[in-house]
Amino acid sequence: MRRPSVLAVLAVLYVLAGCTGDAPQPDPAPTFKVALLSPGPVSDAGWNALAYEGLLAIRDQLGAEVSQVETKTPAEFEEGFRDYARRGFSLVFGHGFEFQDAAATVAPDFPDTIFITTSGNTVRNNVAPLRFMLEEATYLAGMIAASMSKTGIAGAVGGMAIPSVESTLLAFEAGAVAVRSDFKLIKSYVGNWEDVGAAKEAAMAQIQQGADFLIHNADAAGLGVFQAAQTRQVLAFGTNKDQNQVAPDVVLASAVIDIPAAFVEVAREVKEKKFTAKVTKLGIADGVIGFVVNPALRDRIPADVMKRIDETREAIVAGRLTVPSSEF
Amino acid sequence: MSIDLASAMAVAAIAMAIPLLYAALGELLSEKAGIINIGLEGFILLGAFTSFAVAHSSGSNLAGVGAAIIVGVVVAAGFAFLVVRCAANQIVVGTALNLFAVGATGVLYRAMFGVTGSVLTVEGSPLLRIPLLADLPVVGEALFHRTLLLYVCFALVPACAFLLARTRVGLEIRMAGENPRAAAAQGVDVARVRALALVACGVLGALGGAYLALDYTHTFVEGMSAGRGFIALAIVIVGRRWASGILIASLLFGGVTALQFHFQALAFDVPFQFFLVLPYAATLLLLAISAGDTNAPASLGK
Repeated sequence: MRRPSVLAVLAVLYVLAGCTGDAPQPDPAPTFKVALLSPGPVSDAGWNALAYEGLLAIRDQLGAEVSQVETKTPAEFEEGFRDYARRGFSLVFGHGFEFQDAAATVAPDFPDTIFITTSGNTVRNNVAPLRFMLEEATYLAGMIAASMSKTGIAGAVGGMAIPSVESTLLAFEAGAVAVRSDFKLIKSYVGNWEDVGAAKEAAMAQIQQGADFLIHNADAAGLGVFQAAQTRQVLAFGTNKDQNQVAPDVVLASAVIDIPAAFVEVAREVKEKKFTAKVTKLGIADGVIGFVVNPALRDRIPADVMKRIDETREAIVAGRLTVPSSEF
Repeated sequence: MSIDLASAMAVAAIAMAIPLLYAALGELLSEKAGIINIGLEGFILLGAFTSFAVAHSSGSNLAGVGAAIIVGVVVAAGFAFLVVRCAANQIVVGTALNLFAVGATGVLYRAMFGVTGSVLTVEGSPLLRIPLLADLPVVGEALFHRTLLLYVCFALVPACAFLLARTRVGLEIRMAGENPRAAAAQGVDVARVRALALVACGVLGALGGAYLALDYTHTFVEGMSAGRGFIALAIVIVGRRWASGILIASLLFGGVTALQFHFQALAFDVPFQFFLVLPYAATLLLLAISAGDTNAPASLGK
């Protein structure tokens, strides 16, 4: 009989040892996993930062495992959705209007994953949009601009001309025109969400054309708009997040979205399997949209203007006033 | 067109041109020595971040500029080690550098200033007024009431031209780019010349970033270089690899960019996308017209 070689013995021992190491363990309760695809850096102190805060709120309040990735192109959107769905994430947020097509394309392949886009109108079995009616707050900003402007002209700088951005600017314009029928809004687009320098230049050109109020919806690039406002000492409005402290001497007020609260709400529904796919519109009445006046500049707003703003806000909450927004 | 508008446009054009001019002059030196630095975008971003981070924590913009220079030197030295010493593919290393810069600046920014970005600004670099010249109409404000980095940038144009055309170092750079073997036979240390040219390129790219962050926008945003490094590569070609040509091409691109924002603000009934493509269309057009002799060194990229 051949003696078993030492190597063979070792191999057998190794396999046995491996077996004990791999002793079947009780299946851990499947963790609730939530992911976010952001169109830009989450350090933008605005649109993307809010979504990231929402994701962290889901982690903290619902004990979810969370993950985030930055995606720029439609191909990356789709790949991001697929990747997370394949890895067993129950809920994936695509943060913006531009994620709809990718969500609708990917969704049928992953029926166990819910895809939420934070704008738009695409609804499938497991795809639904959350629509933040920021228009309600930019409408109020437009009213203030038209009430206080000396030139009757305001400038708006957008990142890209996607319907959600256009809609907020449309509402701003409507609010302004409601106060002053000949009010003019100059709209410019930067073409991306990061080029602060270009956004500053766009705003400077608008000021040169007589704009004495500025609003942006350009995420990180929007900081350039505040720079222009500071350089030429005109007033500006922040959007998405409370940006009053970014340039406290020129940012009169901010149109804000409480994304974390909305994200946690959706995630809770998904976790408790109570989620149904539909378009969810969230506005001032839901406490998700707000209009925050910069305390340092509050005195600049005449009392009668402030009163009219408060009345309009109440009318929106009571449903007596529907703020114009583009249908998409 | 009013004087005011013309003056505002001149200011905008030059402000948009400076980061491009810095980067393109750097690229000129590196390409003349035979190395394509496609990582220019990365150098701009690293320079922007470093200068901002240091200026913000030290309160001194000059310290920020100094730090950007140091980072430019260090990273370019690493680049040079890979492509000159190890003969790694220049395009691959450059691309890797661009990706590295995006990742590194993002991670560090979030680590230092919070993940969701407390928006931070620094005091803009002081404007230095040159008496009399600053009172000139249209260009006075744009050219002679600006920051130190702008004056340095314009001074670099003749300096680079002189260096390349009239000095021994310049001759060695050109030899290294045209025919490195012949240069080596003449006793030129080609590796050293190329490494130095790359370091100069890294420093200039980083200075372009520092201008963008400290002098122009007074803040840092992830990805704020926004493709300027790649435009600078095109500008080197459009400018036919002459310092003066690069100056003109940078001003032209900056000018058209500024102009298109003014066109947008004038609210013509034209889709804004048309205006956004103007600077790129102008660059392409110039490239097409000037096709042919690109004045490229014979051993570029080899």
